[in-house]
Amino acid sequence: MKALVAALLLVGTLIVAYGLPGADPAIRRAPRFGGTMPVLPMTFLHEDHVTSNCVTCHHEFQDGRRQKPCMTCHVTDPQVMPLLETQFHDLCRTCHATEHAAGRPAGPTRRCISCHLPDDHF
Amino acid sequence: MTCRLRLGDAGIRPSRKGNPLAVPAIILALVFAITFLATPTLGGGWYWDLGNGLGFLALAGLLFQSIPGRRPRDIGAHEWLGYAVFAIATSHAFWFLLGDPVVRVYLAPGAPAHMWLGLAGLLMLALLTLLARMPDRTRIHPRYRSFRTAHRWLAVATVAASVLHVLMTRFYLSGWLQALLLTLLALAACFGRRYWTRLRSLPRPAPAAAYLAIATGAVGLFALLRNAVA
Repeated sequence: MKALVAALLLVGTLIVAYGLPGADPAIRRAPRFGGTMPVLPMTFLHEDHVTSNCVTCHHEFQDGRRQKPCMTCHVTDPQVMPLLETQFHDLCRTCHATEHAAGRPAGPTRRCISCHLPDDHF
Repeated sequence: MTCRLRLGDAGIRPSRKGNPLAVPAIILALVFAITFLATPTLGGGWYWDLGNGLGFLALAGLLFQSIPGRRPRDIGAHEWLGYAVFAIATSHAFWFLLGDPVVRVYLAPGAPAHMWLGLAGLLMLALLTLLARMPDRTRIHPRYRSFRTAHRWLAVATVAASVLHVLMTRFYLSGWLQALLLTLLALAACFGRRYWTRLRSLPRPAPAAAYLAIATGAVGLFALLRNAVA
């Protein structure tokens, strides 16, 4: 029993430290979008979000702080950098969860790998 | 994991009456029912909901194990059910680690508190299971009473970490009423000792096979309602 628990602990630790064998090596925290802060890759398809109001996400359309790509500001501005994960999870997941709970097409609500995929166009 | 009492301590007589599955089934139903109180149609997809169904199943089993039972005849059932709960909790963790390559990031340094609490709960459950086995138990605790005290308080800490893991995730249990009900259920299981021991017919540990049978149905129903119906 002790050997089994030790083996499980070892396997779990190795997966956390090195990832699953065969998994995309790009799925890890690394500096992206022109910033130095290590972040996970993210993907986003505009064509899947055409029913949403643009300014729901693109606040820069209203406040005039345009910068391309939009993620650059979020990973370089020291005021918003620490909030990146919370802000994006809240914005994306809250909307997806609300749509799912209402029985409408919602996209992913929880599964991490659904959104954290390498995407050169985001 | 255990809050067992000596029958003589409470002055009650053993009774074999009652369905041994009734109390675990009620606790299982209560845990799953609480998740459906706020947003019953909210799901994370089949894979995610089945994995979390395993987590709620482990939590329900842990709560049931925390209720004092009769000894010594039911110790074997309590022990085997403990192994089942540990196996289910481990399956919950590895389900996500193996099925979603991003989850590991949430267990690495910088992970949110609710994930650390889940990991702590699983590690404490492993300790709870391992340290209750002979001959390690008698090696560490020569006196049964000291083992019982240590086992109880480690179980309380495991339940606390697990409940906080669920509540701070804020997905299925996002409302204050759900948080309150789950907290009360956990407190009743862990600290309702005086009440439970006054019952004429204490809940008996259910056979692990029977528990797993009703548990499989509960997890399947949990995922089905959140995906097929939604």
